[in-house]
Amino acid sequence: MRKTTFLGVIPLLAPVQLLLLCVVILPALYVVWLSFHLSSFGQAPEFVGWQNYLRVLSDPAFRSAMWNTVIIVVVAVHLEMLVALGMALLCNSGVKFRRFLLVAVLAPYAVSEVVAVAMWRFLFDLDIGPVTLALQALGLPVLEWSYEPSHAMIMIILLTIWMHLPFTFVILYAARLAMPADLYEAARIDGATRLQCFWRVTLPLMGPAIIVALLFRYIFAFRMFSEVWLLTGGGPARSTEVVAVYLYQEAFSYNAFGTASATALLMVIASLVLASGYIWLLRRQVKNAR
Amino acid sequence: MRAESLLVPIGKTLAVAAILVWSLFPIVFIVASSVKPGQDIFAVPPQWVFEPTLQHYATLWAQWGVFFRGLWNSLLITIGATVLAVVASTCAGYAFSRHAARWLDLSVVALIAVRLIPPIVVTLPLFPIVNRLGLADTHLVLIVLYATFFVSLGTVLMRTFIDQIPRDLDEAAAIDGASRLTILWRVIVPLAAPGILAVAVFVIVFAWNEFLFAFIFTGTNAKTAPLVISEMIGSIDGVDWGVLFAASTVQLAPVLAFVILMNRYLVAGLTAGATKG
Repeated sequence: MRKTTFLGVIPLLAPVQLLLLCVVILPALYVVWLSFHLSSFGQAPEFVGWQNYLRVLSDPAFRSAMWNTVIIVVVAVHLEMLVALGMALLCNSGVKFRRFLLVAVLAPYAVSEVVAVAMWRFLFDLDIGPVTLALQALGLPVLEWSYEPSHAMIMIILLTIWMHLPFTFVILYAARLAMPADLYEAARIDGATRLQCFWRVTLPLMGPAIIVALLFRYIFAFRMFSEVWLLTGGGPARSTEVVAVYLYQEAFSYNAFGTASATALLMVIASLVLASGYIWLLRRQVKNAR
Repeated sequence: MRAESLLVPIGKTLAVAAILVWSLFPIVFIVASSVKPGQDIFAVPPQWVFEPTLQHYATLWAQWGVFFRGLWNSLLITIGATVLAVVASTCAGYAFSRHAARWLDLSVVALIAVRLIPPIVVTLPLFPIVNRLGLADTHLVLIVLYATFFVSLGTVLMRTFIDQIPRDLDEAAAIDGASRLTILWRVIVPLAAPGILAVAVFVIVFAWNEFLFAFIFTGTNAKTAPLVISEMIGSIDGVDWGVLFAASTVQLAPVLAFVILMNRYLVAGLTAGATKG
């Protein structure tokens, strides 16, 4: 192995480091600075201490956006995990056409947020949507998502699960695939039932993959913007706004870059707290189960 | 036992059917509707037998020239971002794989930590800067942004793939007098091709479909296809569903075909990216 010298490695690392420095790290630091200043277009920023944070935290619109985000993250990510886990186990249990099934499950990964929203808006359109009409024909309640906030939230949750299920599924599928088959044989010989196999063998061994998938999904669901923006625009009457939409409104509709920056930092902190709390709990449970 | 042996296959078949409907129905429905004659789109119950027509595509072509310019912009931006991300990630992945030092480990941690910063956060400071530099509404802005948000995952992926290439190979080449760049190009790149493809799949799907950055940083010149479709959805005089479906199909078809074709690399990339990164 070559001796590692600073000068020898730097040229290889430079492109990545430069991109990250200019596009992510320096701007992120500038956001920290901005969050302590009052700033708008064409005005000199003025230091205001924690005022932006206080203003954001006391804004009912922010609280409702944060609340919506937490609901969407908690409900969507866990539902998605349950479905993905079921699918991963099913795909590994000797079904026919496994490759085809795998590709079919992956398909939504290729669909852009915009096209997905177009599909779902049509399928659930209140006048002409096929899903709405089918529900009506069966005498079931329909999703009045364009004016009923809780129904709009359900739409957002369904849409986000549809778009991100491929990711969660692939992680779990690969983890299940990597598990040695003789473990199950051993468990069977010892007289374990299907359910016992699942609780005592499958779940503990898939634990790390489940945690990784959850961690990624918490963090990514927390920054959700396009689905909400394109589906409901945060409406009706800001009732389905999520934190990223609130941030966008503050910055680009109201030109309040200071409060938008404070929102950005609160968003990062909240997603870290949510993710780490859950992960810590899960990790402990996985350890106890073993 | 007998009841179970009968119920399990039925249950499995139903579950598989449910998965297929959930994943494919929205896609199939939109593609099918794009070739349905005008009124059949809204038929109750939905018509599954109809005379296919290209009328919506004709309307799209005649009235939405801006959509095809959007596709062209999307193509240029996707190619640019992919090349930039792949080259940068391969170089960095090679450096991380073949060299060890404490500051390099720190650099990897920083690389992973960077992914915790949501993209919308950096739009706040970048928006005024991009405007001042006169880069607003150019392909370059989106190319750099899209590449940057994947170099971190890309580097980690490339390191994982390059780690699997025996070091003896580059040492042999080095003894033969090959320079570091020659080794990278002649030895590493051909052997790490699956990794490069995995990174490319991620960037291509992301750049072709991305909405947020395009929405904030482009207006007319560099407007991408997803942005034009979002304007169709938000159209004030009511949505022309047929044209919207035609445009959605045109935007979706190439990337869907690509994902299906490359599904192995996508799975490999997702798995390696999630467990290592």
